[in-house]
Amino acid sequence: MTHVSIQELTKVYPGADTPALDRLSLEIASGELTALLGPSGCGKTTTMKMIAGLLEPTSGDVRFDDRSILRDKPEHRGVVMVFQNYLLFPYMSVADNVGFGLKMRKTDPTEIKRRVSEMLDLVKLPDVGDRRPSALSGGQQQRIALARALIVQPEVLLLDEPLSNLDAHLRFEMRDLIRSLQQEMGITTIFVTHDQEEAVVLADRVALILDGQMKQYDRADAFYKRPVDEATARFFGGHNFIPGKSVGGTFDGPLGQLTLADGAVEGAGKLTFRPENVRVGQGDGNNLSARVADVIYLGTQTRLKLRVGETEIDAVVNPNEVEGFKPGDIVPIHLPPQTLWVIS
Amino acid sequence: MSDRLKIILLLLPAMSVIVLLFFGGLLIGLMRSFNYMPVIGLTEPNLQAYINVFTDEEFYWSFLLSFHISFTSTLISCILAVGAALLLRRAFIGRAVINFLFQLNLTVPHLVGAIGILYLFSQSGVFARLAAEVDLIQRPADFPAMVFDPFAIGIILQYVWKEVPFIGVIVLANMQALGENYESVARSLGASKWQTFRHVLLPLIFPGILSASVIVFAFTFGAYEIPALLGANYPAALPVLAYRSYTDVDLAARPEAMALAIIIAILSAVMIFIYIRYSRKRVRS
Repeated sequence: MTHVSIQELTKVYPGADTPALDRLSLEIASGELTALLGPSGCGKTTTMKMIAGLLEPTSGDVRFDDRSILRDKPEHRGVVMVFQNYLLFPYMSVADNVGFGLKMRKTDPTEIKRRVSEMLDLVKLPDVGDRRPSALSGGQQQRIALARALIVQPEVLLLDEPLSNLDAHLRFEMRDLIRSLQQEMGITTIFVTHDQEEAVVLADRVALILDGQMKQYDRADAFYKRPVDEATARFFGGHNFIPGKSVGGTFDGPLGQLTLADGAVEGAGKLTFRPENVRVGQGDGNNLSARVADVIYLGTQTRLKLRVGETEIDAVVNPNEVEGFKPGDIVPIHLPPQTLWVIS
Repeated sequence: MSDRLKIILLLLPAMSVIVLLFFGGLLIGLMRSFNYMPVIGLTEPNLQAYINVFTDEEFYWSFLLSFHISFTSTLISCILAVGAALLLRRAFIGRAVINFLFQLNLTVPHLVGAIGILYLFSQSGVFARLAAEVDLIQRPADFPAMVFDPFAIGIILQYVWKEVPFIGVIVLANMQALGENYESVARSLGASKWQTFRHVLLPLIFPGILSASVIVFAFTFGAYEIPALLGANYPAALPVLAYRSYTDVDLAARPEAMALAIIIAILSAVMIFIYIRYSRKRVRS
């Protein structure tokens, strides 16, 4: 079990004006599964490579259990990285791929054989050892790549977009596998992804990185309920941002006076609420009358574009609730106070 | 028109060149090597030319020399080319210039290179005179024999000079297409730099090295001009031996020249076959 501490980690590539990663600080508790989330080019893979020792940071430190590892060679860091495109060695059998790390450590061949077969059982592919990687499906290759990483019992496991290349049904299978193996072996795990859904389903905690800077580091639900700023909220699918002022538990803006939950930020700011928290019909407090601008049927959900005065509101509702709604209709909506959040 | 027919028609021009010129030449050579030349009344094929070749001691020395030239120059070229490619794939200031210089002599003909070697390394060459000038040796003639020498050092130098960029360009393209991620994976799994090279990069670029080195080996084994210019008189490389027989005043030596040419072709094919089988097994184990 290893506590990972990333301190003011910065990378400026030669010839670049702005840093690829700007003073990233993160504390990752022992055995935790953390996601580095951000769009492509935001610096998340750079971060992983610096932790793995494949890239030299410009400044800052990476500490495992309070010991700096920056001077250690990649092969001595106890960090294993699993790449997005698996990168199984094509000229080796699957078993040789899995046993690669042990062979490099000059482990006894019979011991390698035993542990490889254990590992293959663990990733639920006991019979593929003699095959070539090219004979496996994408999902199977992913599991072999994971087995190849876990067999060396790393202190820290780094995963690069672990679910992105998988079909929807394989994603959940893989998610469960990663989570169960990670918990069982207690390996501190960091993964990077550009897909907020992937981060949310897999991680204990999520660090959102935008333009090389960390915006928020929190449990997944906080990004929906309490985003630190508009960019963060937008990254997680937030659409509603209404300027105004928060005074004594009330938000005063173009929608009139809305009641906020306890503990809201005071002063000028933006009111935000999730599209899925907009309720159709009357409720306790914050009742409004809205005009339907558009109805977009999405299968399991319906997206409503609403207007209250000049203000646009995006809502996502159960299709049954809005059957028969059409543009131009005037409908009652309400915004439950506990779902409103003020960004200062 | 069916696809099959289209493919055959499209291939026809290229195939006819190969079939007529290459196989045609080979067939005529084969017939003559069997002493079969109906034009001058030789209509009874026999193995006399081959018997003459195989009973002559010089043939065996020539074979050893040719093998030594090809093997040594291919091996040295491969090692230097891989080393150069490893350096050239890194980003550094002036890489474009170095890269250009590295590939420059791809355009220089072998013959020109050979004359360069002659000027530089012979016992009356630039290096010999320089060494005498700074009193490393007494007279230029004391300079170690590197041209017309029994170990074919001059020939090998010339081939290495010419083939390193050739193999290097292929290997470099190969490395650049692979990227560095496989090596990163290996490093993070605990492989040292050397292990990463030996167990990951080398097997991955091996197909490129293999095809390039087969071309170099076959070329150097069958090439005539460099051993003729820079080689010793005895033993001479196999192609030189073949050419000598061909231009012999005694017309009866011609079938022997043809037999030698056929033997060179067969030996190349056999050695390349053994090389491919053996090296693939070794590198990927």
